[in-house]
Amino acid sequence: MQLSHKPINISAVLATATCALLGVTAAQAEENTELWKFDTALMYYGETDRVTAVEGVIAATKDFGDEHIFSGKLTIDGLTGASATGAVAQPTAQTFTRPSGNGNYEIAAGETPLDDTFHDTRLQLNAQWTQPIAQDLRASGGLQFSNEYDYLSFALNGSLAYDLNQKNTTLSLGLSYALDTIKPEGGIPLALATVAFNPNPEQEDSTEFEDNYNSTRATDSDSKNTLDVMLGLTQVINRRLLMQFNYGLSTVDGYTNDPFKYLSVVDEQGLTQSLVYENRPDTRTRHSFYWQTKYAMDFGVADISYRFATDDWKIDSHTIDSRLRINLSDTTYIQPHFRYYQQAAAEFFQPFMQEGETLPEFASADYRLGEMTAYTLGLKYGMELDNGDELSFRLEYYQQSPKNAGFDEPGVLQDMELYPTVKAVIAQVSYRF
Amino acid sequence: MLANNTINAFSIEAKNDHYCGRFTAMASPCELLIETQDHELAQQLTLLAWQESKRIEHKFSRYQKDNLLYQINHAIGSPVVIDDETYRLLSFAQTCYELSDGMFDLSSGILRQAWLFDGSERIPSTQAVNKLLPLIGWSKVRFDHKTIQMPKGMELDLGGIGKEYAVDCVAKLCQLKAPDTSIVVNFGGDIQVTQPRKNQQDWHIGIESLADEKAAIKILKIKNGGLATSGDARRFLIKDGVRYSHILNPKTGYPIMNAPRSVTVAAPHCIQAGLLATLALLHGQQAEAFLQEQNLQFWCYR
Amino acid sequence: MQSKIVKIFASLLLIQLASCASLGVQPWERDLLAKDEMALDAEKLDLALDDHIYFSKEATSGGRAFAGGGCGCN
Repeated sequence: MQLSHKPINISAVLATATCALLGVTAAQAEENTELWKFDTALMYYGETDRVTAVEGVIAATKDFGDEHIFSGKLTIDGLTGASATGAVAQPTAQTFTRPSGNGNYEIAAGETPLDDTFHDTRLQLNAQWTQPIAQDLRASGGLQFSNEYDYLSFALNGSLAYDLNQKNTTLSLGLSYALDTIKPEGGIPLALATVAFNPNPEQEDSTEFEDNYNSTRATDSDSKNTLDVMLGLTQVINRRLLMQFNYGLSTVDGYTNDPFKYLSVVDEQGLTQSLVYENRPDTRTRHSFYWQTKYAMDFGVADISYRFATDDWKIDSHTIDSRLRINLSDTTYIQPHFRYYQQAAAEFFQPFMQEGETLPEFASADYRLGEMTAYTLGLKYGMELDNGDELSFRLEYYQQSPKNAGFDEPGVLQDMELYPTVKAVIAQVSYRF
Repeated sequence: MLANNTINAFSIEAKNDHYCGRFTAMASPCELLIETQDHELAQQLTLLAWQESKRIEHKFSRYQKDNLLYQINHAIGSPVVIDDETYRLLSFAQTCYELSDGMFDLSSGILRQAWLFDGSERIPSTQAVNKLLPLIGWSKVRFDHKTIQMPKGMELDLGGIGKEYAVDCVAKLCQLKAPDTSIVVNFGGDIQVTQPRKNQQDWHIGIESLADEKAAIKILKIKNGGLATSGDARRFLIKDGVRYSHILNPKTGYPIMNAPRSVTVAAPHCIQAGLLATLALLHGQQAEAFLQEQNLQFWCYR
Repeated sequence: MQSKIVKIFASLLLIQLASCASLGVQPWERDLLAKDEMALDAEKLDLALDDHIYFSKEATSGGRAFAGGGCGCN
């Protein structure tokens, strides 16, 4: 018998003959092939009196055979509401000029200053390709693009995973590089420059304010590079237990400031005299150690993880995350979720600056860089529908409790709430098909 | 109520996360793995599988004298009325005959009168083989939707596709009966999975290893589709150090030389896999090359 | 049809009985580990959404996955 003399594909002809013999149609046979799988979610995140966000995600995965897998994801989120500026509350009402220089807003006595001009829509696209490249060796590469009004990010990643010990052990190495560019309205403010205040925002041509404002601006845009390296070890312990250990090194180089964050400069009585823009070091090196374990029980799955992270900004953090899936029936489950987070303050964090004090090289009053604890409590309910699709609902409560990392509070600030609690509700609907 | 002899014909056993039904048919151990906790369903499916296997065995076995195949093989040149199922099987055989350039031939079973593959060194004489060659030739078989007619002395043997066909038929019936249940039909290593399991888990099936007599059982992992094995683990002759495979060339009447000892092929349907494995063996030395050309997942042991 | 067949074959794996390992399981003992909910990235979307929230509200990111950039929210 000769090979390759006939152009016809023997297995294709045989497949047709088989369908005729068994009385099945080709379409029925096709049902067995891997189709696109979609994962969608709509999430609402709402803080009391602050930010509200709505985020929609569509993720699609397709196995092209032999573990050649493509996955893509589209994320759109809309953000509105008010965000803490870093300025301190005062016993009298305060007036601030908006970051763009256009108009003023008022903050009542005793209230934490929030800038309510945050409206943004973000679009993010991800694409990832994974395939085996040798026996027990998988490679994966991906791109990420994210764009919002004043921010643009482009990232690429690549990783290798090596299975050994009958796939009971997997070693992985990953690299990721991201280039982020920020272009805030009005330009990039100068580090620690005094924030310009416009006493007469209604006045059409306030050249004095414009000159002041422009003198605080350096450039239109700035950027940062982020390089991540990740080493991972996944180990099957026994029939029910699985563990993962990751070490991550992340270095950031470039513009790390938040151009919308201020520090209040207060006098001895604690009264605000002026505002300055924050300034953070232009590099940051982070190390993270992550351990996750999953345990299969007869009635569900326990998932516990712990993360320790430390960096050269002196922010150490501990995170414990746990989920317990409890199967209620063959097709339904509930899953309580608990997360606890604790971080130390960055070494340059200070809730305000004092008049007459020498200007530090770096300073930020962004509470997200201060000492805090946070916890999340949540519950998820999932059900598999008759057609095999999965529908789930998730409701969570998230609370951040910033803490005083040992700063003295002069005069009136002792009566002010400098570390207000942030409370948020997360609601999510997911559908998988 | 089931008759007593029916109950004894098969057994059902509850396993960790599935039921296992067992019986014997076509001289093979037959096994059904059913992803269910429902004893009643397992019993019904196993009964159904057993009945269907026995039906096919009875209709197409060449060891029975009261069946359709016996009528066809003993018609002495006159036409025999056939049913639709037989017509479909004959049409399938026709396609295989054409695809293999005449190497796959249902009428070649008659060579068994000369060749006895018992592991001995009894090679038949050239005359004995040549005497049979005129009785081989699928092209001499005439059939249509209603009848089949072939020259006197010729015989058809469906042994090459019967078991795989039965596996597919049983799988199809099981899927009709339990459309949401993943079921493995395993007739002595010829396997069909009706649909993937609920959690995309693999089915783990222990099958007799054809490749290595020392490792008697190997574990097969399968999610979906069909799988079949062809080989000559126990059916061969050895003379002067030369291994004569039981895969015979219908054109010469002699074994195909340098064929792999066993070929396992994965395909959407068991019978497809079985045919591809058989065609690969018929390619002898070029079995692997043939399979590679077909873009198939396969395992060859030499 | 050929590509269809190839896709179906992707879901088929054959493995040989191999020697015992001290840590881990034999391939046929993976029934529980093979469940979707036992995958480390089960609920991938939930985890990604959570990562995004905490990335924008806390000073630490990454650990499970890359810490990396991508959003002006921090």
